[in-house]
Amino acid sequence: MSIESSVADRRFTVDRQALIASLRAVLPEQALLVEEEEMRPYECDGLTAYRQLPLIVALPADEAQVQAIVKVCHALKVPVVARGAATGLSGGATPHRDGVVVSLAKLKKIISVDPVSRTAVVQPGVRNLSVSEAAAPYALYYAPDPSSQIACTIGGNVAENAGGVHCLKYGLTVHNVMRVRGLTIDGEIVEFGNAALDAPGYDLLALMNGSEGLLAVITEVTVRLTPKPELAQVVIASFGDVRQAGDAVAGIIAAGIIPAGLEMMDRKAIHAVEPYVNAGYDMDAAAILLCESDGTPEEVAEEIGRMTAVLEQSGASGIRVSQDEAERLRFWAGRKAAFPAVGRMTPDYLCMDGTIPRKRLAEMLDAINRLSEKYALRCANVFHAGDGNLHPLIMYDANQPGELDRALAFGAAILELSVKFGGTITGEHGVGIEKVDVMAEQFSLAEIAAFHRLKAAFDEHGLLNPGKGVPTLARCREYTLARVGSATSPRS
Amino acid sequence: MQTNLADFIKDTPAGREADAILRSCVHCGFCTATCPTFQLLGDELDGPRGRIYLIKEMLEGQAVSQTTQLHLDRCLSCRACETTCPSGVRYHRLLEIGREVMEERVPRPLVVRATRFLLCEALPRRWIFRPAVAIGQLMRPLLPAALAEKVPLAAGGAARPWPRRAGHKRRMIALAGCVQPILTPNTNAATARVLDRLGIELIEAPAANCCGALRYHLHAQEKALDDMRQVIDAWWPDVESGRVEGFVMTASGCGEHVREYGKLLKDDPAYADKAARIAAMTRDACEVLAAEQEPLAALLRQAGADSGERVAFHSPCTLQHAQKIRGVVEALLTAAGYRLAPVADPHLCCGSAGTYSISQPVLAGQLRDNKLAAMNAASPALLVTANIGCQTHLQSGSKVPVRHWIELIDERLNVGA
Amino acid sequence: MEGLIENWIGRVADAASAGRSLAIRGGGSKAFYACPEQGEVLEVSGHRGIVAYEPTELVVTARAGTPLRELAAALAEKGQWLPFEPPHFGASATVGGMFAAGLSGPRRQAVGALRDYVLGVKVLNGSGEVLSFGGQVMKNVAGYDVARLFAGSLGTLGVVLEVSLKVLPLPVAEKSLRFSIDEAAALGKLNAWGGRPLPISASAWHQGVLTLRLSGAAAAVAAAQRHLGGEELAAGLATAFWESLREQTYAFFAGDAPLWRLSLPSVAPPQPLPGSTLIEWGGAQRWLREGDGRAIRVAAARAGGHATLFRADHALKASEGVFQPLPAPLLRIHRQLKRAFDPQGVFNRGRMYPGL
Repeated sequence: MSIESSVADRRFTVDRQALIASLRAVLPEQALLVEEEEMRPYECDGLTAYRQLPLIVALPADEAQVQAIVKVCHALKVPVVARGAATGLSGGATPHRDGVVVSLAKLKKIISVDPVSRTAVVQPGVRNLSVSEAAAPYALYYAPDPSSQIACTIGGNVAENAGGVHCLKYGLTVHNVMRVRGLTIDGEIVEFGNAALDAPGYDLLALMNGSEGLLAVITEVTVRLTPKPELAQVVIASFGDVRQAGDAVAGIIAAGIIPAGLEMMDRKAIHAVEPYVNAGYDMDAAAILLCESDGTPEEVAEEIGRMTAVLEQSGASGIRVSQDEAERLRFWAGRKAAFPAVGRMTPDYLCMDGTIPRKRLAEMLDAINRLSEKYALRCANVFHAGDGNLHPLIMYDANQPGELDRALAFGAAILELSVKFGGTITGEHGVGIEKVDVMAEQFSLAEIAAFHRLKAAFDEHGLLNPGKGVPTLARCREYTLARVGSATSPRS
Repeated sequence: MQTNLADFIKDTPAGREADAILRSCVHCGFCTATCPTFQLLGDELDGPRGRIYLIKEMLEGQAVSQTTQLHLDRCLSCRACETTCPSGVRYHRLLEIGREVMEERVPRPLVVRATRFLLCEALPRRWIFRPAVAIGQLMRPLLPAALAEKVPLAAGGAARPWPRRAGHKRRMIALAGCVQPILTPNTNAATARVLDRLGIELIEAPAANCCGALRYHLHAQEKALDDMRQVIDAWWPDVESGRVEGFVMTASGCGEHVREYGKLLKDDPAYADKAARIAAMTRDACEVLAAEQEPLAALLRQAGADSGERVAFHSPCTLQHAQKIRGVVEALLTAAGYRLAPVADPHLCCGSAGTYSISQPVLAGQLRDNKLAAMNAASPALLVTANIGCQTHLQSGSKVPVRHWIELIDERLNVGA
Repeated sequence: MEGLIENWIGRVADAASAGRSLAIRGGGSKAFYACPEQGEVLEVSGHRGIVAYEPTELVVTARAGTPLRELAAALAEKGQWLPFEPPHFGASATVGGMFAAGLSGPRRQAVGALRDYVLGVKVLNGSGEVLSFGGQVMKNVAGYDVARLFAGSLGTLGVVLEVSLKVLPLPVAEKSLRFSIDEAAALGKLNAWGGRPLPISASAWHQGVLTLRLSGAAAAVAAAQRHLGGEELAAGLATAFWESLREQTYAFFAGDAPLWRLSLPSVAPPQPLPGSTLIEWGGAQRWLREGDGRAIRVAAARAGGHATLFRADHALKASEGVFQPLPAPLLRIHRQLKRAFDPQGVFNRGRMYPGL
């Protein structure tokens, strides 16, 4: 089954010239890219293994222009693929061959930051980090901090329900967004949620989070701001054995501690990052844990003491506590740069995103190491250990024939294991185009069909980001057939 | 990233280098966040990731037009993306290769070529540039506003004299430069006075003119190499005789370039070694002062002045991103008793970027105004930077004086004198 | 258990083919809430029991008929709980009823609502299919977030069979403080404190008295108490007070007068509405015991929120509507979602909005 097929399907018949003419009538000239030369750089997002030239790229500058584009596309039955910073790793912003890519990067106004209500209203193209920067003068910040937070946008964060390294304590995007304003596919402006803590009716706000651009086009978001803790400190513990590190994670939770962050990196990941970031990681360790505590100085001192005790009991070979804010940020800088830093070891990588029960972390790591041998591809591991969220980075070289296919098979095997271990194929990166087939591993045909009906409640003709998120029932059946006889057959 | 370079370049040294750089990029997009033009324009094509993609397409043999040219031209070469890039992509080098191929592929209109020729010939030559500026400044009141803004203003403090030769044992050479002695003559004079107090004699070699950066970035590679050879010839006798211990750069743009001499002249057997040696002996003025931290602190104590004057510092891209010198000037100013005003987005370029303010006036103006707004947010008394280009560009839009940081150190040392 | 569900599937099919509505009923503790039940009762409290609970995973999975008390006791035994303090509104309350009503208690502003702790559900839809969404892990973005969509959907989309929830350790220390202060000043203080890293876990203002609860590490609670001042409430009294708010047994809630709930931005000023008010959630939840429904709804909307007729007789509910009316595009999406999960309109017809 071709990986491109879901964004290259031919069920839409679009008259390109008519579409261009209609869009030109409602947009300034420079807001449309129509030549191949200028559209090529839009053919993929952070997942470069999947590339598709779009029909047209539109660069609206405000909500009215977005609305005009959506209305034209709705009228002409043209697919619409919304795109933020295109840092996503699941191909959520991969164009559709017959669709318009709507880049929301120009909608980057921070409309308001209100320190009294602790909220900020921002356009979808505002970068995650710049929300926190704008809130900093009030000692507030926006809590979800995906590793790409320097570049990724709030619109994309909502679409993917982005997480980060602090979500065990502070939640995902869905926990920190109060209101989403957007456009339905027929171009109607809708608001999900409000400035209060809940809204009447169904929780459509929750539904918008993680909907991967399949239900509406986001044009404005109200986020909740969190008071900056008085103090935050991070402990780095080195382990000679990943199993000990896995046990330490369970031990910390069992001790009744909810760390502000709890991350694990294995040796390969440490070796990718340390030479570049100089974060101070132990290059001899088989794995390191980063455990953050925040709160009042007294609280932090107490919690760090308890965490350190658990880490020592679990067999940590070395423990360091950040001594000041600069050092804390340096300890985190290594973790946050982990994905691209792996780019120094390999021309290409695939980043997986399964989530499993924490107690099975070590078991999973063993299994990944075996798969790494089987597929003859290196794999560095970075985990949001506190959430059981795995990020194995499968290294390959796209210029070597066959390596991409092996990498994809390796990735699929990890995702199947994630489901088998009682988890999910994606914790925070989204299904996108990358994992659309593997959805059949986790969901029954009836469940997939329910997703399609839900989608149709918003988008009858399936124009919003087609080919992503949910496989067609035909593809599910194909996937299931292909799996018959394999050890991990999907649920029926 | 997957690559498939075309035959015309695949097996050339430039092709191999470009391929390696392209393959180190994983397309994560972090670079877009700190790219000044992407921040202004919000188009993938105006950020490093998009430009890398455009260059990749071109090197893979796709047809290119003025579209690619426009987006590559808009790059400031500020290298903020390289500071941000976690994968170590050597973007500026890829851009150089890309621009060279593009120059061959996409012809430029005559008027653009003429402008470039003029810049290439006039700026690096003091005997042309000095009278041109003088005439321009005389005519300024008569010129339309848009044109008047282009006439460089003198910036910085009034030129005070160089110290009398004190016969110090330690001696260093400052690059006189091409534009700087005309527009900001006090910069090198102030450096000489400060170093004099530290027991170092600063001299200039009159024959060393432009460092070559200007023409290098205007795609006049051969002429640029000639500029560089001229500088090396002017300096080499003092290196050989051991008369000087090093070279002090008071313009970070020149400093960056001189430090690249070794690489740029590696294929010229007559100059390769000399160039490498000189590059290794080159320091930015702030590094020289930082190395004299203790005697400088003693002098400052002796001068006794601590005005607590609030200043806003803009670190030039050539200092913070290219030379990766960060926090050094800030520490010197703080040590001298100045209060540093916070400046938002300190990584962003001011829009000067060599001749960018002439070739891309609209973007350069927006970047300048944004930078000035950020610098003036806390109402400082002075704006401070470390490069002639940034200084005059910022001054062209600012009522608040823009100085070179060394002038402030100089004044502080001479308060009691 | 399987037999039970098989039986329900038959009932659903019968109702669908006959065009009848089924009123899903667990413990019946929240029958007073929302629009009146219609149709024959589908009794679901027999599907009970905790399916999986591992304290180190911070996840519990329970069948919908499990008594809420039983779940709370099982969690307490391991030093954990449901931090959003769901109201029980009676001893018979079940996990399914809590989930379907989607209500949260005094701690909501500090720690999040019920929906924020939902990880997964198993449901029976209107076509008689048993479907699972979400899961038992902390993060899960595979497929749409149907589990959260079902939370608070009042059984209108299907019968919830099983719920997986995130749980947390119990707070180590708690203290409650009282201040004499008027409404406007209390709102000002609550919002100012909300912007600071203080361990405030609940707040209530009524008749000139503001009560705050601090929760967290002993050191943090003590430091906050020193900082905030106020008069400390004895521990027993404090527990009883917060419980009486959560369960609406507090004197303010007594009597038959209608009870309005206003969900507003916390910064909304005191509302120019008649009658006594009780404020919770740092200003974001305000209760009223009287008033003209239309005026209340207009005021709530103008302030950026909405109003619910929380307790009232059927006649008043019928004339005022229980929930704030939805804008047309949202109502259309609601109807289509209802149809997506319950095409024949079998479940809890009209429980949320007429025609849904």
